[in-house]
Amino acid sequence: MSKELNLWLDDLLQDIKIIKFKRKSSRRVRIDIAPEALPALLELLQGRASYVHLSAISCVDWIEEDEFELVYHVWSYETNSLVSAHTRVPRDPGVYLSVYDLYTPAAFFERDIHEMFGLYFEGSPDMEKFILTEWNGPPPMRKDFDSEAFVNQTFSWEEYHPQWLKDIEAEGGGITTRPEDVR
Amino acid sequence: MNELDKIPVRQEISVAQGGAKRTNPLANVFDELVRFCQSRSMFMLHYCTGCGAIELPPAMTSRFDMERLGIQPMVTPRQADILLITGYVSVKTLKRIILTYEQMPAPKYVIGICSCTVNGGMYWQSYATAKVLREYIPVDIYIAGCMPRPEAVISGLRDLMGDIKSGRADNWKRYFQNYDHYLGNQQQLFGEDWQTPTDIIAEAEHYGLMTDQTLGEHTALLQKHQQPLEALEFSLGEKREKIQGEER
Repeated sequence: MSKELNLWLDDLLQDIKIIKFKRKSSRRVRIDIAPEALPALLELLQGRASYVHLSAISCVDWIEEDEFELVYHVWSYETNSLVSAHTRVPRDPGVYLSVYDLYTPAAFFERDIHEMFGLYFEGSPDMEKFILTEWNGPPPMRKDFDSEAFVNQTFSWEEYHPQWLKDIEAEGGGITTRPEDVR
Repeated sequence: MNELDKIPVRQEISVAQGGAKRTNPLANVFDELVRFCQSRSMFMLHYCTGCGAIELPPAMTSRFDMERLGIQPMVTPRQADILLITGYVSVKTLKRIILTYEQMPAPKYVIGICSCTVNGGMYWQSYATAKVLREYIPVDIYIAGCMPRPEAVISGLRDLMGDIKSGRADNWKRYFQNYDHYLGNQQQLFGEDWQTPTDIIAEAEHYGLMTDQTLGEHTALLQKHQQPLEALEFSLGEKREKIQGEER
């Protein structure tokens, strides 16, 4: 039964002209869609096609194209299949619409994305800090945030070959078995 | 109420630190006995960070059985001797670790397990992970590895027991003696308004562990904005008022 439903859904989705439809496997569908049409698609999937579970919203920073890619994963318990709706929004000014009115769990994912990528969701109930409550820097998952440079600037390092070890080695002691001898 | 100044303290100043040699010949024997007992009864705080904690259940329970060495888990920092840091320390966790460490009664020992506590380990380029644990609190023993097996954990604990027995494990004194250094590193990470509920400077005075390194520019900064601690107000709150209202 669920296989049949999937085939019907494929036919219906392929009829929509503005989306790019691709079936990845028997339980996965990828849809590429323009950002202004995405809420309408999700409304359709939720209201008419039983995709009631928003499992995640993931975000990818395509810095060379100057775009954020948002992926909405919605799951249907009737057809046991997942639809991943991909959309791309410009990095600047980095504002998009919330789908909180369709899926309440979206508030959680949108808050997380806002914190990690700095993408603001209009209409989301809470855009305050979430996990990084003690973080004052730029959104750390953006590609233009150089984590390594930040670490080198903020933290200092333990020396691997400190003076006290050199002193011991000068007296003939030190590390008896080096890692490369064991391997 | 008791005044903090009037509580008698036994001050331990070793000969190496310039203290007077103890005249009673039996005193050293007694000290040795105390240290032996301390090393054989260690309570390990149940506070685990990161992933190394997964090696502790087998180390504690019947397979490797840490309890035969006198090491037992304890649930509150006020009754614990050992603070095990079992993995990566995020900046948020580090605050909690320092609060916990300062609440533990002396003598207290810190063990850094896993590579992450030494140098950040596999999180070396993570923006959220503090790298060198011993910059923020004094560490007695490091057990390197990703992660160390229970045998290695127990071997490290036995090393600590040896250090306690011979009187070498006194790194907890360093926190009082070099408080300015540790506080400076903490302030660099947490901001200048960082303050813990424990008054370390007063404790250092109380234990007789003040040195010229205890106070400095960082403690001056702390004292500038330090809020004195106030006792929490005890009341039954709304519930009681509600009951009283109903009675009327």
